[in-house]
Amino acid sequence: MRELSQYAILFGLSVGVFGLVLSLYGLARAIGRARAEPGKDVPATAGTLSRDPVWVRYHARYAGYALLFLAFDMEMAFMYPWAVVYREEGLIALLDMGVFLAILFLGLLYGWSQGALRRQ
Amino acid sequence: MSILVVLLSLAAGAYALAVIERWAVHGHLSLTGPAWAALALLGRESLLARKSDRLFFELGPVLLLVAGLMAVAVIPLAPGLIITDLATGALFLNAALAYVLVALIMAGWGPNGAYAMIAGWRFLGQFIAYAMLIVMPITAVAMRAESLSTVEIVASQEQLWNVLYQPMGFILFVVAAMGLAWLPPLDLPDATGELAGGVEAEYTGVRLAVLRLARMVIILALAGATVTFYLGGWLGPWLPPWAWSAIKILVVAAAMLSVGRYMPRIREARYLALSWKLGISLALANIFVVGVIALVVPI
Repeated sequence: MRELSQYAILFGLSVGVFGLVLSLYGLARAIGRARAEPGKDVPATAGTLSRDPVWVRYHARYAGYALLFLAFDMEMAFMYPWAVVYREEGLIALLDMGVFLAILFLGLLYGWSQGALRRQ
Repeated sequence: MSILVVLLSLAAGAYALAVIERWAVHGHLSLTGPAWAALALLGRESLLARKSDRLFFELGPVLLLVAGLMAVAVIPLAPGLIITDLATGALFLNAALAYVLVALIMAGWGPNGAYAMIAGWRFLGQFIAYAMLIVMPITAVAMRAESLSTVEIVASQEQLWNVLYQPMGFILFVVAAMGLAWLPPLDLPDATGELAGGVEAEYTGVRLAVLRLARMVIILALAGATVTFYLGGWLGPWLPPWAWSAIKILVVAAAMLSVGRYMPRIREARYLALSWKLGISLALANIFVVGVIALVVPI
């Protein structure tokens, strides 16, 4: 039950942030309104609308890293519970995770040798 | 009660940090400066770019603030002075700060401006560079403390602070934290002078005020995390615990803010390469070294 109430507090805080932001918007509105003028709402591209559409495909040149990142991020999900019981389990835990990390590290080295660690 | 105290100290801390940022970045110390700047932002017009994605544009800064506040919620300022002492505190901190990425991409995509959008996607690249270096050092911290609860992590440093126990992890974590808070020299998503402010380019008036506030909260959360994980949290002689927390957090935040004055901005490609080739190797070595020490030495 205590855990549940903690999450209730966190939820309440998140809702409270929305309240804070809305009251800030209200305060700004109370200070005064701006005059509506044409052309003020052009995004920052030296005062003109950009020639090409902006929402286009962005070339993610870090794709090689991103794939490796997925592998490592999955591994971290296993690392946290392991870290908590590490001292209890002792040497066997070090060996278990050591083998796992060594394989993963070899994967990193392989990716490096194949040119994955490069902005393409 | 403690929630209110933490929230008030968070507000005070954010203000103090704004003063320090002005001092670190522009070189003049003004105690009232941030208050006037905030009032000016509230008084200014808050433009909505034409053809924008309204939902993303509005939600970006708010989500950023929520993420920062969630991260602050698991940082202990003194024994008992914490919003929620979750059993999975260190993991929850990661989960909350992951939303910084989502919020920045939303804020970049939303206004339909070229600079903002490039900046948002660029932050995704920066995320791939720093993310592993946030979680891996925390693993080593949890190995020593045998717990993910931030309170127990602080308690585990009673005899020796983690900054001395695992200095490599400390350095990696601080640098990665600077990447997470997009502080110069790792300020790729707002890159003043190169992307015209990047994700901040289209935000004006009160929306910009919320964005700036959110960023201050995130910097405080990360300074708090550094102090909790590595600098012994509230531990320290003579002064009361809350004073130690306050001093340490503000000093760490000030140090993070002032690095940008002395270093040029790093390129995305170089940052990615450094993080993965040097950073990950060091982080794995750190886990191994801490693993051996934790088995041999009982503290």
